[in-house]
Amino acid sequence: MSVSNLLENWSKFRHTHPVDDKGIPDWEAYPSDIKWAMSIDLDACTGCNACSVACYAENNLPVVGKDKYSHGQAMHWMRVERYWDEGDNGFQAEQGARFLPMMCQQCEAAPCETVCPVGATNHTEDGLNSQIYNRCIGSRYCSANCPYKVRYFNWYNYPEQENAWPAPLNQQLNPDLTVRTKGVMEKCTFCKQRTYTARNNAKTEGRPVQDSDVQTACQEACPAGAITFGNLHNPESQVAKQWQSQQVDLIKDIQEKDEKEGNRLRGYRVLEELRPYPSVMYLERVRESAV
Amino acid sequence: MTENDFSRRDFLKVLGWGGTAVALSGCGNTSIQDGQETVTSYVTLPSYVTPSISNYFNSTCAQCDAGCNIMGRVREGRVLKAEGNPNSPINRGRMCGLGLSGVQAHYNPDRVREPLLRTGDKGETITWDKALGLINEKLNGTKGTEIAFVTGGMSGHVQALLGNYMDELGSKNHFSYEAISPAVLRAANKKAYGESMPRYRIDKARVVVSFGADFLGAWVSPVHFSQQYAQFRKGSRPEGRGVLVQIEPKMTLTGANADRWIAVRPGTEGVLALGIINALGKAGLSIPADIAAVSHEYTTERTSKETDVSAEQIEKLAALLKERTPSLVLAGGAAEGYAHGSQNAAAIALLNRVLGNVGKTLEASASVPFPQIAPTVGSRSSLIALNDGLAAGKYKVVFSYGVNPVFSAPASMKFKDNFAKADFKVAFAQYMDETALAADLILPLDSAMEDWATVVPEYMAAPEGAGSNAYAQMSFRQPMMEKVFPDTRGVGDILLALLKQRTADKYKEFEDFYSYLRSAVLKNKVALGGKAGDDDEVFWNETLSKGIVPLKGIAGSVSAKASAAGLKLPVPTDADPSYPLRLIPAVSASMRDGRNANEPWLQESPDPLTTIVWDSWVEINPKTAAKLGIVEGDIVEVTSKSGSIKTQAYLFPGIHPDAVSVPVGYGHEAMGRYARGVGANVFGMLDSVFDKETGELALNETSVKISKTGQRVIIVKEEGPVGGSQAGKPKIAVQVSADKVDLSKEV
Ligand code: SF4
Ligand code: SF4
Ligand code: SF4
Repeated sequence: MSVSNLLENWSKFRHTHPVDDKGIPDWEAYPSDIKWAMSIDLDACTGCNACSVACYAENNLPVVGKDKYSHGQAMHWMRVERYWDEGDNGFQAEQGARFLPMMCQQCEAAPCETVCPVGATNHTEDGLNSQIYNRCIGSRYCSANCPYKVRYFNWYNYPEQENAWPAPLNQQLNPDLTVRTKGVMEKCTFCKQRTYTARNNAKTEGRPVQDSDVQTACQEACPAGAITFGNLHNPESQVAKQWQSQQVDLIKDIQEKDEKEGNRLRGYRVLEELRPYPSVMYLERVRESAV
Repeated sequence: MTENDFSRRDFLKVLGWGGTAVALSGCGNTSIQDGQETVTSYVTLPSYVTPSISNYFNSTCAQCDAGCNIMGRVREGRVLKAEGNPNSPINRGRMCGLGLSGVQAHYNPDRVREPLLRTGDKGETITWDKALGLINEKLNGTKGTEIAFVTGGMSGHVQALLGNYMDELGSKNHFSYEAISPAVLRAANKKAYGESMPRYRIDKARVVVSFGADFLGAWVSPVHFSQQYAQFRKGSRPEGRGVLVQIEPKMTLTGANADRWIAVRPGTEGVLALGIINALGKAGLSIPADIAAVSHEYTTERTSKETDVSAEQIEKLAALLKERTPSLVLAGGAAEGYAHGSQNAAAIALLNRVLGNVGKTLEASASVPFPQIAPTVGSRSSLIALNDGLAAGKYKVVFSYGVNPVFSAPASMKFKDNFAKADFKVAFAQYMDETALAADLILPLDSAMEDWATVVPEYMAAPEGAGSNAYAQMSFRQPMMEKVFPDTRGVGDILLALLKQRTADKYKEFEDFYSYLRSAVLKNKVALGGKAGDDDEVFWNETLSKGIVPLKGIAGSVSAKASAAGLKLPVPTDADPSYPLRLIPAVSASMRDGRNANEPWLQESPDPLTTIVWDSWVEINPKTAAKLGIVEGDIVEVTSKSGSIKTQAYLFPGIHPDAVSVPVGYGHEAMGRYARGVGANVFGMLDSVFDKETGELALNETSVKISKTGQRVIIVKEEGPVGGSQAGKPKIAVQVSADKVDLSKEV
C-alpha cells in the first residue's frame, strides 16, 4: 500500500466515520450491520480483577514478572484501575474505593489509527480497532496517541527468549489466536476470535447475530455481571437497550442529556471530550448519601 | 500398579464415546511454539472431536472450598480454560480470578512428577510400588492411635474412602485444618440461628451491614455472593438499590464497594453492634428485654468512645436500619479474630434478631442426605490438637493431604519441629511446598483437572423456586484430559491402593477409584435423581455430563434464638506501648492462605486495593506513617512478640490509624518458581492467642511495632505515582449520589 493510497483511504474513512464532512453523524453510511459495543456498570463492578485474569487465559497474555512490571511493561489488556475520593486531607476512604475496568475503548475515531505509519492499526467494518501484528513495525506511535493507555508493546520475545510459558504451561495457550512476538503492539480486541466465530455461525445459519451468540471472556467471567456486550446496531441487544435508555449516542461527542439540567441518567464515556467516540459506555457508580 | 492408572481411553468410554482408537495425546509436552500444533491426530479422530471446535466437560473448581461448578474448555485433547457452568446455583456461569487460574495449577511446571523418598538430606525418586510398599511396611506394627491424617476441608467419595481407610487402620485421628476458616462464624451461627451455615440473602436485603465479612473477596462463597450483590445493587429491584455498610479496621474488597466504610477500632465490633441496638431502641424500635438488659449500657456516647465511630454515624446507621427493612447483618473474619471473637460474633448476631431478619434474609439451608459425603469443615483448632499430639510424640505415622501447615502455622507453635518428631511423614502433594519438604515420602498428586472426585459444598446455594429449602447438591470433578505427567496419581486411587493393602477382598471388585465412584453412584441411583429401571450406563453418562447432582436434602431451619445471656465484651484497653499497633493479617481473594501462590496469573494480578504485584507489603494509615516518618516504599520491620518480617510500606487510606495490615499467603520458601521468595510470610509472626470459646487461633490478636530499616524500594504496582487521583479529570471513574439519579427504570 502506497502512502498516498493509505492517506486517501484514511481520509475517506474519516469522512464517514463516525461523522460526515459537515460533522453530521451518519449511521446510514456505517459499513456493516454490526457495531460491537460494551457497557460496564460501575455500581455492580466490585473491582475483583476476574475479568483481567480471564483475559490472560483467553488471549495468551504473557506474565512478565516483577522486574518488567516495574518498567510498566505488564501486558494486561484489561486492567482494573483503582481511584480514591479526594478531600482536603488527601485520599478519603469513607465511601470505599472506585474501580474502573479499562481496556481498549474501540474508538470510532481512534486517535491511535491516524498515527500509524504503516496502517497496522485500523478499523474493521464491525466497528473494532484492529491490530495487524504482521504489519506492525513497532513505532509505538499508536500507544503514544492513545488517550486511555491501553496498548501494550512486546518489548521482548516472550514465548521463546523470556520463556513466559515454561512447559507444560504452554499447553494452556488458546489456539484460536496467536502468541505475539517481539516488536509488535497488542491490545484488547473485544475477543475478536469469539466475535468472528459468532458472526460466521450466524451467517451460516442465515440470521443476524444475537446476544446469546457471543460473550467476551471478561464479560463471561465477571462474577457481578457488570459487563454487557453486543451489537449496538441491533435494537434488541441488551447493550443497545442500555445505550439507548441512557441516551448515550455513539456518534456524538457531547450528549444532549449532559446539557440538560437535572439529568438523572448515569451513562457516560471516559474522556469523551477528547472526541475519540469510544465504544464503551460506563454507568456511574452510585453512593447512598443517607448513611 | 499401572492397573490403577486412569487412561484417557477409559474416560472416553465412560462418557459413551468409547470404541474409537483414540489418539488424544495431552502429555508429550507439545508446544505450539515448536510448530507441533497437531496434538490430535486428524486422521483417526474420535467421533466427538472436530478439530478447532471445543468440547466442554463439566467439573468442579478446586481452587477454594466454595465448590463452584465449572466447564473445562477442551480442544484437541488439551484443557484450555475453566468457564462457569451456567446451570450452577452457586456460580451461575461465573468465575473468579482464582478459579480461572486453576489451569495454571494443572499445567504448572513445578508440579511433583514422581514419588520421592527422603533419607536424611537426600531425596530420590522411587516407583509407586516401592512407595506404597514402604507405607505398608511402616504401618505394620503401628497402632491406629499412632497414625494421624491432616487434611483440609473434605467431602464426597474421597472423604468416604479416607474414612474407610482410617477405620481399617483403627485410627480416629483425622485433623481437618484450614488456615483461614470461618470456624468462629460457624459456632456463633449455630448458637444464634440454629444452623452453622444458613443461606444469606444479600439479594433480598435493602441494607447489608457487614462487620468485616469480605463476601465479594474471600469469604465463604464469593462468586455466589457477588451475584447476589449485583442483584442487590439494581435500582430496578422492587426493594430499590441496596445500601452496603462495611465495618472493619482494614478495608477489604467488600469494604471498597461499600456506600459507607467505617473504620472501627480493632476488636470493638461487638461493642458497636450493641451500641447500634441501643440506638435502634432510642429511635423507637422495640428491643427484646433480654437484649435490652445488655445493650442499654452501650449508650451512643460510650460506644463512640470505645469504637472510634462518631455518635452521628451510629445514629445515622440506626435510622437507616430502622427505616429500610429487611436488612442483613454479617459477621466476618475481621470481627472474629480475637480472644473474644465468639462474643463479637454473638453480639453482631443479635442485630439480626432485633431487626427481624431471621427467616427473611437469613434462610434455612439444607444438607445432603448421606453423612459420609457431607462436608467435614476445617479449623485452626484442629491443627492445635495435632500439634499437641505431635509434640507429645503420640503420632508415628502422619499423612498430610491438601494442606501446608509448616507454612501456615504460627512460628510460636513450633509445628515444623513437632512434625519432625513423627517417624514417618507422608505428603500427598502437587508441589514441593514447605510441608512436603518436611515429609519423608512425597506422593505426587493428579491435578484437579485430571482426577475424579465428588464435592459437597459447605455453603449450599440453591436455585430459586419451590423446593429450594430442601435443595442440596453433589458435584462431580472429572478428568478433562490425559495426565500432564504420567506418573502422578489421583488421591482416590492412592487411598484405594492403600485400602487394598489392608483388606484386599473388600475392594477387589474396584480396579480403580473411578470404578469405586461409579459403582457407589449407581448403587444410589434413585436417591441421586434416577429411576430404578434406568440403564446404568445412560444414567452415569447423563449425570456426569451435567456435573451437578441435585439431591433431596434434609431441610434445616433457622430461628431467632440469638440471646444476650452470657454476653460479655471486654472493655478496650490501651495498647502496650512497646507494641503499639494492631496487626491485621489480610486474606485476599487471590492469594488466600497461599496454597495457590505458584500460579503466575495470581502473582501478576494486582491486589485490587493497593494494586501491588509480586510482593507483600504492609498497609499503614498515612497519619500513622507521618508520625513514624515512614514514606511509601520504605522497607520496614514489623515486629511482634513472636517474630518479625521485613516488607515494603504502603500508605493506605483504608486502614484504622491504630492498625497495620499485611497480606497472608506470601513468603514461601518452597513450592515453585513463582512463589518462592516472593514477599514475607506473616503467619510465622502471629502470637498464639485463641478464641476463648472455640479455641480458634485469633488472627487479629497480634500487636506489633514498626521500625524503618533505612532501605527503600520503588513499589511495583499498577497505579502510578499519583496513586488513586483522577487529576481533576471530570470523566474517568465517575460517582453519583443515590438521590441524584433515577435507577428505577434502568434496563
Ligand atoms: S470481573 Fe466484573 S466485577 Fe470484577 S473487576 Fe471485572 S468488571 Fe469488575
Ligand atoms: S482506546 Fe486507545 S487503542 Fe483503543 S481504539 Fe481508542 S485510541 Fe486506539
Ligand atoms: S470462588 Fe473462585 S476459587 Fe472458589 S470455587 Fe468459585 S471459582 Fe473456584
